[in-house]
Amino acid sequence: MSAPAFDPLLISVAAPLAVALAIALGLPKRWAVKLAYAGFAVPALMALGVWWQFGSAAKETHGYAFLSRYSTGLDQFGIGLKLGLNGISLPLFVLAGLVGFAAGLYAIQSKAERMKTYLLLLLAMHAGLMGTFASVDVFFFYFFHEMALIPTFIMVGIWGGRDRTYAAMMMTIYLTLGATLSLVGLIAIYAKSGASSFDLMVLRDTLASRPLGEVTQEHIFGLLLFGFGILVSLWPFHSWAPLGYGAAPSSAAMLHAGVLKKFGLYGLLQIALPLLPLGAAHWSHTLAVVAAVGNVLAIGLVTMAQRDLKQMVGYSSVMHMGYAFLGIAAGSVLGAGGVVMLMVAHGLSVALLFLLSTSIYHRTRTFDMEKMGGLAQHAPVLAGLFVAATFASAGLPGFANFWGELPIFVALWNFSHVLTVTALTGTVISAIYGLRAAARVFFGPQSTAFAQVAAANPPSDIGWGEKLPALVLIATLLFVGIWPKSFSAAINRALTNTPAAMVASR
Amino acid sequence: MTPLNTALFVLIAPLASAALIMLFLGRRGAAASAVSVVTAALVACGALSLAFGGGRFTAAWEWLRFGSFAISIGFKFDDLAALMLSVVGVIGLCVHVYSLGYMSDDAGKARYFGGLSIFMFSMIGIVLADNLFMMFIFWDLVGFSSYFLINHWRERKSASDAAKKAFIVNRVGDFGFLLGIILCYRANGTVNLSALGADHAVYSRLIPLLLFCGAVGKSAQLPLQVWLPDAMEGPTPVSALIHAATMVAAGIYMLCRINVLMVPEAQSIITWVGTLTALYAALCAVTQRDIKKVLAYSTLSQLGYMVAAFGMGSVGAAMFHLTTHAFFKALLFLGAGSVILGCHHEQDIFRMGGLRTRMPVTFWTFTVAVAAIVGLPGLAGFFSKDAILVLALESNRAVFAVLAFTAILTAFYMLRLWKIVFLGAPHGESAQHAHDGGISLTAPLVLLAALSAVGGYWRAYPRAFEGVFSQIPEAQGATHAIVLAASIIVLVIGAGTALAFYATDGRDALEGKSRSVFGFLVALRTSFDTAYDYYVAEIQQRAAMVFNFIDVVGLAGVVVRGLAGATEFVGFGARALHTGRLNNYVYWFLGGVAVLWAFAAGVL
Repeated sequence: MSAPAFDPLLISVAAPLAVALAIALGLPKRWAVKLAYAGFAVPALMALGVWWQFGSAAKETHGYAFLSRYSTGLDQFGIGLKLGLNGISLPLFVLAGLVGFAAGLYAIQSKAERMKTYLLLLLAMHAGLMGTFASVDVFFFYFFHEMALIPTFIMVGIWGGRDRTYAAMMMTIYLTLGATLSLVGLIAIYAKSGASSFDLMVLRDTLASRPLGEVTQEHIFGLLLFGFGILVSLWPFHSWAPLGYGAAPSSAAMLHAGVLKKFGLYGLLQIALPLLPLGAAHWSHTLAVVAAVGNVLAIGLVTMAQRDLKQMVGYSSVMHMGYAFLGIAAGSVLGAGGVVMLMVAHGLSVALLFLLSTSIYHRTRTFDMEKMGGLAQHAPVLAGLFVAATFASAGLPGFANFWGELPIFVALWNFSHVLTVTALTGTVISAIYGLRAAARVFFGPQSTAFAQVAAANPPSDIGWGEKLPALVLIATLLFVGIWPKSFSAAINRALTNTPAAMVASR
Repeated sequence: MTPLNTALFVLIAPLASAALIMLFLGRRGAAASAVSVVTAALVACGALSLAFGGGRFTAAWEWLRFGSFAISIGFKFDDLAALMLSVVGVIGLCVHVYSLGYMSDDAGKARYFGGLSIFMFSMIGIVLADNLFMMFIFWDLVGFSSYFLINHWRERKSASDAAKKAFIVNRVGDFGFLLGIILCYRANGTVNLSALGADHAVYSRLIPLLLFCGAVGKSAQLPLQVWLPDAMEGPTPVSALIHAATMVAAGIYMLCRINVLMVPEAQSIITWVGTLTALYAALCAVTQRDIKKVLAYSTLSQLGYMVAAFGMGSVGAAMFHLTTHAFFKALLFLGAGSVILGCHHEQDIFRMGGLRTRMPVTFWTFTVAVAAIVGLPGLAGFFSKDAILVLALESNRAVFAVLAFTAILTAFYMLRLWKIVFLGAPHGESAQHAHDGGISLTAPLVLLAALSAVGGYWRAYPRAFEGVFSQIPEAQGATHAIVLAASIIVLVIGAGTALAFYATDGRDALEGKSRSVFGFLVALRTSFDTAYDYYVAEIQQRAAMVFNFIDVVGLAGVVVRGLAGATEFVGFGARALHTGRLNNYVYWFLGGVAVLWAFAAGVL
């Protein structure tokens, strides 16, 4: 397979990287900012383009479209930069493109100190994200993840809010551990499969004809589950998330919580489940119990106890990841389909919530919800967007999140009745903390603390710099919410065509 | 237009109106209200032409599919849907027109009318839905519209709290509803309303009861009734449309939709929930001073009648009462709105009085509505309530007794309200200068008064609703005489006592004369809220704090320390991380890559 003349996937990795490189080489700030727009916009346009063409115009091989392969000089190890999208990676690629664009726009207007370095790191992160979901080669899948992860630590450490050193350390320890475990698991698959290739398509074919032994599968799946699980804040390895996101600068939080965190779930769905069906079956009960009781119920309650807006959003994100794990544990096409929908929906809505939380902070000068109140009178548009994001995150139909949660619940019933009921309590819990936050921040009378802040600096409603990225996110949430087939058709095709693997894990 | 296209138009037009308002007319109240009202008029025309045009159809399109699981968006337009759609269309138009006058000076007018349009869209979606998943989707959306509109005056803490409470309490009901839908899907393999049957054995009792949970939330039955009285914080036209005539009745409509799933055990529970709600709410209504809250408890009580009627097996009686109730309760609320507006936002009935002469249109239309709800022979409420009493007498004497007693209370609290608000002399400056509103306020009152007067003669209706009204139970011979006598006696006792007992002196006679009864009724009313408040503050929030403590101190503390120790143990520089030199990580990563290469090349 050769490289096509016009490769949207390669361009969406290369464009932000090239801009980052140009900035690193000393581009003046004026130009750096202008070029950064292009660096963030090109992947988004490419993502929309491939979304439009996928399934109809694009040619497919084994369910993958837009395939290309570039030699890296590591061919003898079975490593090559092979790019392509199937029905599972397409939604995430689009997610990465859009959230990256929104985060980029928000960063450019944020007036952060040392703007050039900030943009450089964010662009590198963005390139890594696009590459992660475009990679068919497992080596590059992991490589691009690291490329996005490292800038996250640095951004938290330098531009973070309070406790940034501690938060950066905690994130680094946890995420490094998670990444290491999953790396070991991936290498084990490579070594044990005997395929001498990191190419996922080759690995799939090899393992479909010669599956690994049951015990081997269980061990490797365990490594991947805990490795990826830590990266996705599986309870009880979630402590890094609220702390890290609480400290992270908004654009980094948007990209990490919105997109990068999905790496683990994506790895489980795209790699672990099809390649190690017996291992998945072995672990599914443990996973489901931990996710339902730990992530959904316990963290749901913890979320209700938060006073700090950003921490609350961070915890809510941990909670919603519980649903995703439940869908993976349920193991059917329905459950997995719900997980992909939820990944996209959650990514968009949590990015939106982090963005809006920062916009709120600029007006209230605090994240403490007790010191807010009545902001809707000053900023009605901000209030409307926040309420919409809250309802999206609580799974209101009309937003994409609903199409993630509902299939997961339905799939879960066949897996475990008790856990379905447990998971459903999450719908009530999300409504409680979400609406409580909306009420505390925006409605009712002003708190005395906020009245003082508002008297000194009369808050304005959000301007276009903040509104545009928010609108990109909310429009996508609504679009997918109203027309779920725009993703579900591709997802369904990819999942039902996966040979027997999903069925075996049921 | 084919009926299908009309149905699509009726569903989509309000959504388009809402989108237009939210996107472009956010600051143009006049334009927004015009768009919304014109849409409502078109929807009403479309709804009536669909209902009376005779076309009955089903249609479905696939919305989402994963494997064998598919959700479709579809219409099931039968006589039941036609009736409900007509009610929604007509009341919706009345309330839209009324809102033109009522909300004319409101700063958030555009937002308000956008909310009304969103509501119409969601409600019509429930009516037309051909399967339970789709119904649930729109079910949640009416919940959102309700939240949005209760929260209209959002600088008020009470409004914000009430909106939050309404949504969360409904989510509690929906918890059961969604579980019921999932079970139904798993047991039947479908949730299409036309394909459902009651022949699945395992969960046959559980499914109808779980689905009923949805109705308990949305139609505010015991024990989830607490949100509805608080929801009166919303603008009064919203209370009329959403919290009296249509949305809260959606629970009954949904039950009628899934009638085939009912089994006797479930039905008897449903009957008793409805009956007790009817009684409980009527008792609560007696001590209210706020005109809207009297009506809110009255709504709860009447919804209880409908639920009980459904429980006793009659879709016809339940839907008949739903229809007449929609007319007279919407009228009562709009009349109350007119009074509130006339008295400059005074809602305490003991500061009103003497409005009979000052607000003649409001007075006469309100009087028709009161006569209808208390069951004055010849008016709408009389026929529909009679149908329920006949049903009760034939199926369950105890229920009959409770419902008949509730009817006494209904007459009692309604006449109390009527006398204190309209008769005697005004008790307050604002009531002194009250006057009727303009045409947009009075026209809907007159139309609804006409419907409340004649809406009970269902035999005179066109044959469009035959499929529903043919199921209305009719009394023969002795039963007929007993029920007729009972309802007249009940009316005379209730109305007579109220008229004799309450004076128009601006004081609550019950509070003055019998403190113990009054105190008991107040305690009864507040008992649920007290219990729930205790649960939320003392149990739920404490649990949250405990879990938070464990999370922060336990997990973060111990696990992080453990991890740090572990990393030190394997000789990786945890201390380097403490110093913040994050690039150490990069070296480690590169080391990993080197190991990987070595591994791949077969060195290791």
